[in-house]
Amino acid sequence: MAEQPRLQQGPPGAAGSGSGSSDPARPGLSQQQWASQKKAQVRAFPRAKKLEKLGVFSACKANDACKCNGWKNPHPPTATRMELQQQTASLSEACRSCGHALAEHVSHLENVSEDEINRLLGMVVDVENLFMSVHKEEDTDTKQVYFYLFKLLRKCILQMGRPVVEGPLGSPPFEKPNIEQGVLNFVQYKFSHLAPKERQTMYELSKMFLLCLNYWKLETPSQFRQRAQKEDGSAYKVDYTRWLCYCHVPQSNDSLPRYETCQVFGRSLLKSIFTVTRRQLLEKFRVEKDKLPPEKRTLILTHFPKFLSMLEEEIYGENSPIWDADFTMPASEGGQLGPQSVLSPVTVSGSPLRKGPSVDPATSEPIAGEKRKLPEALTLEDAKRIRVMGDIPMELVNEVMMTITDPAAMLGPETSLLSANAARDETARLEERRGIIEFHVIGNSLSQKSNQKILMWLVGLQNVFSHQLPRMPKEYITRLVFDPKHKTLALIKDGRVIGGICFRMFPTQGFTEIVFCAVTSNEQVKGYGTHLMNHLKEYHIKHNILYFLTYADEYAIGYFKKQGFTKDIKVPKTRYLGYIKDYEGATLMECELNPRIPYTELSHIIKRQKEIIKKLIERKQSQIRKVYPGLTCFKEGVRQIPVESIPGIRETGWKPSAKEKNKELKDPDLLYNILKNLLAQIKVRANTFMSRSDSTRLLLKKSEAPDYYEIIRFPIDLKTMTERLKNRYYVTKKLFIADLQRVITNCREYNPPDSEYCRCASTLEKFFYFKLKESGLIDK
Amino acid sequence: MALVSADTRIAELLTELHQLIKQTQEERSRSEHNLLNIQKTHERMQTENKTSPYYRTKLRGLYTTAKADAEAECSILRHALDKIAEIKSLLEERRIAARMAGVYNDSDPPRKTMRRGVLMTLLQQSAMTLPLWIGKPGESPPPLCGAIPASSDYVAKQGDKVAARVKAVDGDEQWILAEVVSYSHSTNKYEVDDIDEEGKERHTLSRRRIIPLPQWKANPETDPEALFSKDQLVLALYPQTTCFYRALIHTPPPRPQDDYSVLFEDTSYADGYSPPLNVAQRYVVACKENKKK
Repeated sequence: MAEQPRLQQGPPGAAGSGSGSSDPARPGLSQQQWASQKKAQVRAFPRAKKLEKLGVFSACKANDACKCNGWKNPHPPTATRMELQQQTASLSEACRSCGHALAEHVSHLENVSEDEINRLLGMVVDVENLFMSVHKEEDTDTKQVYFYLFKLLRKCILQMGRPVVEGPLGSPPFEKPNIEQGVLNFVQYKFSHLAPKERQTMYELSKMFLLCLNYWKLETPSQFRQRAQKEDGSAYKVDYTRWLCYCHVPQSNDSLPRYETCQVFGRSLLKSIFTVTRRQLLEKFRVEKDKLPPEKRTLILTHFPKFLSMLEEEIYGENSPIWDADFTMPASEGGQLGPQSVLSPVTVSGSPLRKGPSVDPATSEPIAGEKRKLPEALTLEDAKRIRVMGDIPMELVNEVMMTITDPAAMLGPETSLLSANAARDETARLEERRGIIEFHVIGNSLSQKSNQKILMWLVGLQNVFSHQLPRMPKEYITRLVFDPKHKTLALIKDGRVIGGICFRMFPTQGFTEIVFCAVTSNEQVKGYGTHLMNHLKEYHIKHNILYFLTYADEYAIGYFKKQGFTKDIKVPKTRYLGYIKDYEGATLMECELNPRIPYTELSHIIKRQKEIIKKLIERKQSQIRKVYPGLTCFKEGVRQIPVESIPGIRETGWKPSAKEKNKELKDPDLLYNILKNLLAQIKVRANTFMSRSDSTRLLLKKSEAPDYYEIIRFPIDLKTMTERLKNRYYVTKKLFIADLQRVITNCREYNPPDSEYCRCASTLEKFFYFKLKESGLIDK
Repeated sequence: MALVSADTRIAELLTELHQLIKQTQEERSRSEHNLLNIQKTHERMQTENKTSPYYRTKLRGLYTTAKADAEAECSILRHALDKIAEIKSLLEERRIAARMAGVYNDSDPPRKTMRRGVLMTLLQQSAMTLPLWIGKPGESPPPLCGAIPASSDYVAKQGDKVAARVKAVDGDEQWILAEVVSYSHSTNKYEVDDIDEEGKERHTLSRRRIIPLPQWKANPETDPEALFSKDQLVLALYPQTTCFYRALIHTPPPRPQDDYSVLFEDTSYADGYSPPLNVAQRYVVACKENKKK
């Protein structure tokens, strides 16, 4: 068994087994198979031979003085094939070391059952294997553990006991929640909004990841110390020893109780091993991609990298909820709770499970999986039914979903290539899924040594920012990027930084300041900026900060507007004043986050919804199949008709909303009179103070000021409004209020804010809103 | 009407193309059989260790057939390429027609401008689908293949993409990616449209301000002389923009589908050049002015 220990990583068996197993997710259990074969062989020995074998590990009982702890064959076997060629030693054969007969060594076994003998023999085989391992092993830490286990098993054979690993290691489980629970929570947390099919995909990926982890060989403590200098080597060593004793060695050594890595370890181990394991896993899949079955290939090559990146964020993120002992999905996601409640009982069982070489992920999966699928579908549907009561039946939606997700229904590459109306972040999202780009939140730290890669990325970020923001002094950028209070969401492509958003969180003030934001010039207009900001939004939702503030310069305003920022600031000034860096000539902008929106998937979700609606409309249209002639009444001078009087509209299922019905005045004459009365009052009011301030013209008439029309795009005044009213233009109160508001806005826009005009406008505004309420046109 | 007939024509062409591809496969299977025979004959000769006249004649026959097969396959493939070119030109015609209609039709609501990212993707696709020039043995690449310039009297057709030197608003001269609208033989001037919908402007420019873009990719494996060589000064489209800038060739494309790697002149970098960036063959043209600005 020349299995190279730990140099080439991979699920055991892939390295040297003859099983020819090509699927990396299905480890060929070679060492294990070998051991069990050997055991079967030994157990088939005649009893005499068995006794001889056990005698080697049994103390001499000739008299109390004899300290010999194992019978030694006086005719040492030649190196080759001892079992087959050697004659069975007789019970009278004397021990080479103490001189007492073999019988004296095995006397205690006389009345022992065959089962117990076989159990002891199993241990003998395992001891012999361990002995080999001790010899072959080059790593000192590992060697020590092997040797300890070797001694432990020997002692057990001697005393006919059962091996228990004792000492400071503690007993499993070592951390709660365990890795499996955490990863399943992660799937729940991140993907529960997806369609059942996609969610199932993610679930399968998580299962595969867990399985790989269970059979993954960890790096030795010395390798670990070399790689991750800043991290705690001693803690890892403890975990590593535990893993050897409880998970790894028992895989091929069934005398020891075996536990699954993902069941007994938790976040701390995953933290120490994730980066390396992830790299090795992806590398392995990449190398072996041709051997993967085709249906798995796409799954692994397109979804797995992104899956792992997202998982990484949760593993290293400070406040990730997936590791909470009492993790549940937020109540708002009520519809998705189904699988959660079904999953948890399956995953918390901490007992040693699945012994022996029969572990096959593909076959063991459905045992748990099938149980799960049905209730999940049911609960999901139930929940949906409650949420959209009275709406389109779920079966119909599902049916439509099937048609739009059917890959065969797509029209070939042409459409996807020329998707002129694809969402801005569509490409970026795809690239992330394929692992072409990655997103990482990184920052400098003064308390602990940052690792080399992070520092390199920070330098990369500093370069991108200073290149793209030439007006910012380079020293200033450097200072902030490397400031431990600032963090940066870095966009990585081919291992290099191509963009990022530097930000500072103020958890006590309930907002985050966006400090720098840039994408390197030759990677622009690819949707990376949008995707970056969406990732930042999701990161903040996780950290319970729901406001972004930023000072945007003139070039940045457009970008921030597209990302949902406005100039309308809702955070009270007292909360940010003195916290945020103020820039001259820049505009303060704010973005409020909604924790219920999965931002990185938002445009995708909306696109889906549109598709569904479109399909539903098409269905409805094909059902109704009746064509009405167009309306002619408008040509005849009618200004407005009630929607419900349009022929055929009721057949489509349209219903007037109860709210609108009550609010809008039905009688046009009544509305006319109210508005006429109102306008008259406003004009009187305006005249009283306008004459005083001698500014009648601005408010009542379009000004004669030469630049007025350049600045004011939609001129309106009270006189024009009077004319419009006469012409019966105001068929709804909405039109009237809009014009009135425009009068005020125009005045404010044209005149300086502290001018008399603006003061008048404000007074007038208050007055007419008061009047509107009074006449019942708007709610109080 | 014209549009409809173009549609049916394209459908026809696609059917023909489909058939040609099937034929190629048939042709290929046939020649493979023959190639196998050649191989076997060679093996047999090897074992017998002498070249008998029988084998010589047999081999000659086999090789003649193989050559004929290969030529047949080659001609089908060329035929298929012609079909593709025809489809592309029909699409192009249709696009130009639609554009003209758009320009002269004022009553229509203004066209929605394309999102910049989409425009960039289109430009990349156009570079990717630029046909590769495949000459017959001994034939040298024509003008407008790779780095080979157009002949001096060449006139770019309507709809062709060109690099156009225009005066920007601030008075600076700039090479932009543009599309030819018309050429006047009397004034020797082009009318071109800025490709960028945002700066939708029509420019009237003299011939020397126009550089037609390559219409074929050059194959580095067969026609390396039709590519710019390392350190040559060129105008290259800066990635994700619609402007050409001066650049030095860093490495020519190693394979037909690969891009050039170029170093753009950029004073914001310490050594005056940007790090190597990839630009497709379609968007690299010779730079006439050799003096540095």
